[in-house]
Amino acid sequence: MKSYCILFALILSSLGHSVIAQEYNIVIKGGHVIDAKNNIDSVMDVAIKDGKIAEVAKNIDAKKAVQMVDAKGLYVTPGLIDIHGHVFAGTEPRHAYSNGFNALPPDGFTFRVGVTTIVDCGGSGWKSFPTFKENIVDRSETRVLAFLNIVGEGMRGGTYEQDTHDMDSKLSANVARQYPQDIVGFKVAHYNGPEWTPVDRAVEAGNMADLPVIIDFGGSNPPLSIEELYMKHLRPGDIYTHAFGQLDSREAIVDLKTKKVKPFVLEAQKRGIIFDVGYGGISFAYSQAIPALKDGFYPNTISTDLHTGSMNNAMKDMLNVMSKFMLMGMDLTEVIAASTWHPAKAIKRENLGNLSVGAPADVILLEVMEGNFGFFDYTGYKMEGNKKLECELTIRDGKIVYDLNGIADPIVVR
Amino acid sequence: MKSYYLFVLIVLIFGNHLAAQEYNIVIKGGHVIDAKNNIDAVMDVAIKDGKIAKVAKTIETKQAVQVVDAQGFYVTPGIIDIHAHVFAGTVPDHYLANSFSALPADGFTFRVGVTTVVDCGDAGWKTFPTFKENIIDRSKTRVLSFLNIVGEGMRGGAYEQDTSDMDAKLSANAANRFKEYIVGFKVAHYEEASWIPVDRAVEAGELAGGIPVIVDFGGDDSHPPLSIEKLFFDHLRPGDIYTHVYTELDRRDPIVDTKSRQLKPFVKKARERGIIFDVGYGGASFDYGQAIPATKAGLYPTTISTDLHTGSMNSAMKDMPNLMSTFLTLGMQLPEVVKASTWAPAKAIKREELGNLSEGSPADVAVFNLRQGDFGFWDRKGKKLIGNQRFECEMTIRDGKIVYDLNGIADPIVVH
Repeated sequence: MKSYCILFALILSSLGHSVIAQEYNIVIKGGHVIDAKNNIDSVMDVAIKDGKIAEVAKNIDAKKAVQMVDAKGLYVTPGLIDIHGHVFAGTEPRHAYSNGFNALPPDGFTFRVGVTTIVDCGGSGWKSFPTFKENIVDRSETRVLAFLNIVGEGMRGGTYEQDTHDMDSKLSANVARQYPQDIVGFKVAHYNGPEWTPVDRAVEAGNMADLPVIIDFGGSNPPLSIEELYMKHLRPGDIYTHAFGQLDSREAIVDLKTKKVKPFVLEAQKRGIIFDVGYGGISFAYSQAIPALKDGFYPNTISTDLHTGSMNNAMKDMLNVMSKFMLMGMDLTEVIAASTWHPAKAIKRENLGNLSVGAPADVILLEVMEGNFGFFDYTGYKMEGNKKLECELTIRDGKIVYDLNGIADPIVVR
Repeated sequence: MKSYYLFVLIVLIFGNHLAAQEYNIVIKGGHVIDAKNNIDAVMDVAIKDGKIAKVAKTIETKQAVQVVDAQGFYVTPGIIDIHAHVFAGTVPDHYLANSFSALPADGFTFRVGVTTVVDCGDAGWKTFPTFKENIIDRSKTRVLSFLNIVGEGMRGGAYEQDTSDMDAKLSANAANRFKEYIVGFKVAHYEEASWIPVDRAVEAGELAGGIPVIVDFGGDDSHPPLSIEKLFFDHLRPGDIYTHVYTELDRRDPIVDTKSRQLKPFVKKARERGIIFDVGYGGASFDYGQAIPATKAGLYPTTISTDLHTGSMNSAMKDMPNLMSTFLTLGMQLPEVVKASTWAPAKAIKREELGNLSEGSPADVAVFNLRQGDFGFWDRKGKKLIGNQRFECEMTIRDGKIVYDLNGIADPIVVH
């Protein structure tokens, strides 16, 4: 191993930029590639050069690469895209998910579980986005994007999120247009009351900036109609998160008596409404998800709703949530699609979530572990399964950023 | 799983009379390793009111609110990581002191069995109140502190070279004021060939009633390194801690001679004298070139610790179980690995109520699965050892409450 390292260091130092002399920076050999966009589901090699996917083919010569990764027995997929995270970590007292203590810095919760892109889901609003960009987007190794909260103050908690005066479509759209590389849509969340104002303002901002909205439907007593939400207020391409939540203050997608998915929910999905998991602390219940999946209703996108309250609980991380959906009946390729290509399309970042030649080289290696595993939800209901996903290696923009067991040769992690 | 609802019902009906149940939690059938009490056998563990209530061959589970099935797993005291950087914050250009290179503790502890972390010098006497307010008081993890001998703490750059900000008396004052949290003093990153930082820290340790110092021995490539033999025998006291023990850097005197690859003879004598050798793995502070010859010569670490920060979390280091597995692979016996991660660090920081499962101790407990397979453990230079065992945390209990449950082995499953 040592000789490899010395050799590698020598090559780097003597040739500098002429590493380009090597045809590829990385070749991943012998893994089972799953790439939903390109309909690949077979054993293939993947070559990376200058941060981009250079080639996906049956046999690529590893001698042409600076680093070789042995992926035999592993799955090779695009880097996971988690469209519902809370990563506006900060120390402002009483600021909840907006530069406060409930949010988490992304890098410690992403690469180790195969996530290369995370979308902060409404932590910042138009007023606080510049701080979010400076503190989080620009400092993270993870690709961090944002759904801008329709509330100008962002997800500060409590009464701030009830202030309809601070839900300004025009200013929100302005900021989204000012940061098109970072902002992918608008978030509505935590609003309590029978008004449609927050949803309608977000959609209005979405129309102005040509971006989707993502809805945490808050609460109301009696609950607002989700049918009305899907059919009258949202547009095709808009996202309904916490799809499998079951709370008294919110209408559920599965009828609690018949245990069937409400017919209009299926219609809404056909209409183009995107159903997102947004697992979180209390936003996923098996009592919704099991009957829904039995009915053939699968989420369009799998996401975590990562924050301090969900990280150590039933949710844990993206791979744990993906493993649950495998256990409930989705197959591996569907789970991967819902965690890569589908979220990429949902946030209109079709350069991500795929392994097309020329795409940013965000690539991961997954192992499907065999054993006895338990997957519980926040109510304590547990399903037993015999498969669980584990991340072996993560590549972001063509650089290895995580290597669990040292399967790269030489082992160099940036 | 209807039992969950039953549990809720019980709570609703009986409220505080849960005390009617003899135990809050009984952990059944696990292999208990408790170095303080010389236990290395299959035992049950009962917890009540946040404390260890009983450790015995068979404990009746009918009397427990929650039962944990630990068959096939190891049950240990909660892991104590005495070298971490958790003063997370957003102050620009503040390195590990209320800034971006440090991490919030709770996302890096319970999921890997750690119940206590000692922040290793991020805060100095000037910044400790902010550290307490932002981190200690808000974390579910038990967070303690080695106070930096630098008043500004680990701000980086020139701040850490300022000997006029290394005040033994003021540092000791702060330590005396916050006795519950401050367990010693840290020296780190000092570049000049001067003994001032070490001597000031030791002086502070004496002024604060004989608490230890932990030394990152710094150094700089512009001058020959200071002698670690002098450090161990002339400057430190028995009970003081030498961290980054397996480092190999040009600027630092290593424990293994880089030519002969032999452990220097005085190192074992230093251990006999009472110097504590701590891993402090970090980003560039562990090298198999040191660790393999040293452990072959019998110099296993007294304490295993991570030096957790943004630069180490995703690299060779990863987390405590990864390091514990690394030392298993290096030939350390499993009970010794657990001891070096529980009871030994508890003693090093003089918190002997922690790191053990004695009756009456705070119920910080970890349950580990020892996975079998082919695993790779590599260092920052890319050298890899192949091992066939890897620790994985199944469950973590802090002060008698389940705070992490990987596979839902508790019944009913309730995570706080």
